[in-house]
Amino acid sequence: MVNMKTTLRDNNLDTKVSAKTIIETIDLDFYYVPEEKALKTVNLRIPEKKVTAFIGPSGCGKSTLLRCFNRMNDLIIGSYIEGSVLIEGRNIYDKQVRLEELRNKVGMVFQKSNPFPMSIWENVAFGPKVNGVSSKSELDDIVESALKQADLWREVNDRMDQSALDLSGGQQQRLCIARTLANKPSIILMDEPASALDPISTGKIEETIEELKKEYTIVIVTHNMQQAARVSDYTAFMMVGEMVEFDQTNTIFTNPKKKLTEEYITGRFG
Amino acid sequence: MKKMSYFKKKGDSYIIFTATGLILSLAMVVLIMTIILVKGLGFFWPSDLVQVKLQDGKAYLGEQWAESTKHEFDTDGNRITHEEIQFKIGNRDLYGLDFIWLSRNEIEKMEKPKNAFSFERLGYGNFYGFIKSLNIGDKQFNYLDEQSNNAVEAAHDKAVKNRHEIKELENDINKLNTPLVNLQREISLLQLKENKTPEEQNELEKLQKEEQAVTDKINPEYQKLSKKLESIYLENQNIFLNLLTADNREKKLLLADVVRIYRPNDFNVLEKSWIYVKKFYEFVADEPRESNTEGGVFPAIFGTVMMVLLMSIAVVPFGILAAIYLNEYAKQGAIIRMIRLSVNNLAGVPSIVYGIFGLGFFVYALGGTIDQLFFSSTLPEPTFGTGGILWASLTLALLTLPVVIVATEEGILAVPRANKEGALALGSTRWQMVRKIVLPNAMPGILTGLILAISRGAGEVAPLMITGVVKLAPSLPLDASFPFLHLDRKFMHLGFHIYDVGFQSPNVEAAKPMVYTTALLLIVIVVLLNILAIYIRNRLRKKYKTSVF
Ligand SMILES: Nc1ncnc2c1ncn2[C@@H]1O[C@H](COP(=O)(O)OP(=O)(O)OP(=O)(O)O)[C@@H](O)[C@H]1O
Ligand SMILES: [Mg+2]
Repeated sequence: MVNMKTTLRDNNLDTKVSAKTIIETIDLDFYYVPEEKALKTVNLRIPEKKVTAFIGPSGCGKSTLLRCFNRMNDLIIGSYIEGSVLIEGRNIYDKQVRLEELRNKVGMVFQKSNPFPMSIWENVAFGPKVNGVSSKSELDDIVESALKQADLWREVNDRMDQSALDLSGGQQQRLCIARTLANKPSIILMDEPASALDPISTGKIEETIEELKKEYTIVIVTHNMQQAARVSDYTAFMMVGEMVEFDQTNTIFTNPKKKLTEEYITGRFG
Repeated sequence: MKKMSYFKKKGDSYIIFTATGLILSLAMVVLIMTIILVKGLGFFWPSDLVQVKLQDGKAYLGEQWAESTKHEFDTDGNRITHEEIQFKIGNRDLYGLDFIWLSRNEIEKMEKPKNAFSFERLGYGNFYGFIKSLNIGDKQFNYLDEQSNNAVEAAHDKAVKNRHEIKELENDINKLNTPLVNLQREISLLQLKENKTPEEQNELEKLQKEEQAVTDKINPEYQKLSKKLESIYLENQNIFLNLLTADNREKKLLLADVVRIYRPNDFNVLEKSWIYVKKFYEFVADEPRESNTEGGVFPAIFGTVMMVLLMSIAVVPFGILAAIYLNEYAKQGAIIRMIRLSVNNLAGVPSIVYGIFGLGFFVYALGGTIDQLFFSSTLPEPTFGTGGILWASLTLALLTLPVVIVATEEGILAVPRANKEGALALGSTRWQMVRKIVLPNAMPGILTGLILAISRGAGEVAPLMITGVVKLAPSLPLDASFPFLHLDRKFMHLGFHIYDVGFQSPNVEAAKPMVYTTALLLIVIVVLLNILAIYIRNRLRKKYKTSVF
């Protein structure tokens, strides 16, 4: 265990966050190619069981940062990080960390819904199955409760054996959320989960997030300022790989400390 | 004028230009298929028998095969042309030749006698002639009319039944003798040994005693069987026809040696069709006769299909594993690029090179070692150290491996990245991801590879000739005797059969139609195997259609 107190940095962000920290980055640098920082010395503490939104202009590194939390970036050949990411106080880039365990605990919903070409049931049961649950009744229970949490159960309970690809776009995305929930993660990362959806589907997803934050820590990347304001408790504003400002959403939107933040929020650029 | 330039702009001339290429290719395919179909399927039709009388008094009976115009110079140096007709006159044992060219000028008369017979025999090809009388035992019946036909048919059925019975009896006797033969081999091996140790001497005496015991035991049964065999054999020797050829030569024909008797001139289309069906069935389901120029090609069909299946069983897992490693596990870089390039180039290596490799590596090195380790008792007689269906299949598997790897890689690359990331993000290991997401989705690609491999593998002949194909295999590589699957056995193959019948046969003219028919069969089999694979692929495609959203 890393002692929280000793790892605190002299950082103006610290004092603003009163809730318990679950994700902490310490001097995080990320490189897609050597010598070229996609993330520059990011220091951030994400509170537990709250919704945290990442906003910022396109290409500023929101997705990159998000994908550092479940080490999805490991898949990109040639990329590497410097610094550390602590989840519940443990450095996830440690050699001993088992990737499967980490990703089981830190779920991810992608921008483009990506249901597997299998039945609805198989999709939701995929995570528990690969993580070792094998009893059918147990799986049935998990699938049902995950679908209920994702507010999809009513729509699909009578056609669990149908291909997931036959669902509508919004339903597919909620299926992907259910699939993530089935693993009972403690953190859910969402990379623009509603950007490809119509307003009604977006609304439903937002409702789902509202519901989920009671139990889960949610980190969501969004381009939609209203969405960030609506669903998040905390907001992080990034620009060209740097964490410019992180605070309670209220504060960021009404009384930002940095001029850059204010300009971005009022729509002067970005 | 305006219209012209409009067309030019659209590039219409190039459409025609490119379309020409397609049309030419299609025309080629259609032409090949037509020739093979016409020549191959016509083979079984019972053609009419023509009796030809020549001006010089000679007479022939046979099937009319071809006509041609001959150009010659006479003794004065004048060019003369005359029409010639080719007849298949059969009766090889009498005439020496099956075929004869006759000039129209020398022909006096041609007719189709109703009572002309065609006999398909086990040996010496067809016999064409007339029946004079039928002998059964010591009775003789003169051939008179329709009624006699039934008698001939009944006698023929009886003779054929006897022939089958003889074969069965011979088998039974063989089986009965097997333990004795094995004992005798062991004994002779021991006897040949010089400087026998006392133990070996003891062993020899024990074996000799055992031999005596076994002989005594099986002798009564043996006597019974061979007596029965002898009586049936004698009976069959006395069921025969006395025949007359067109030029009034007499000939005795054992009915047991006859496969089929028919009177084509007297048969209507329906009866001929029935014979056609029977001959076709015989072709597909029977063993070959007379150095492959007659009879069926069943062992070759069996060998081809079995070899393709063995090849598929070998090549698919290896191809898939290699492709998965290349795409999912290997660190992409210069080495992997090199390997990929080499694999692609391997697809272009001439097949005979694989054949040589198969002979050197599989047959001599691997097979030789297996013989040393497990079959040393039968050495120097090789078991696996000689060509066989296993080595031939593995050689072809090697030959088609690049095709399968490349196709599988394409299938793997077509799996959406989002699905792979999705699986990993749910905490699956790389192998779980490969098994549950990549492999099912890549299945259509893998099957495409298999289809290409089958098409290539089924048609290869050269590498097989040195790794296990023979013109006549005594037994199938799969049968009812333990251990059922005999991977060490030599086998027959349709492609090699075509080569053998068409170019190595003593009677090329008679075998020609057989070549077309066999070629047709080979095509049909390849198409059928492909259709099977395509059917499976389409079902999988439907199941794993990728997300459109
Ligand atoms: N696989 C990659 N290889 C190299 N560079 C990459 C890769 N992915 C992203 N980048 C670069 O890293 C930077 C940050 O990208 P990132 O995807 O994190 O931005 P983002 O904030 O999520 O943008 P958007 O809002 O458009 O999704 C960009 O400059 C991008 O070009
Ligand atoms: Mg992004």
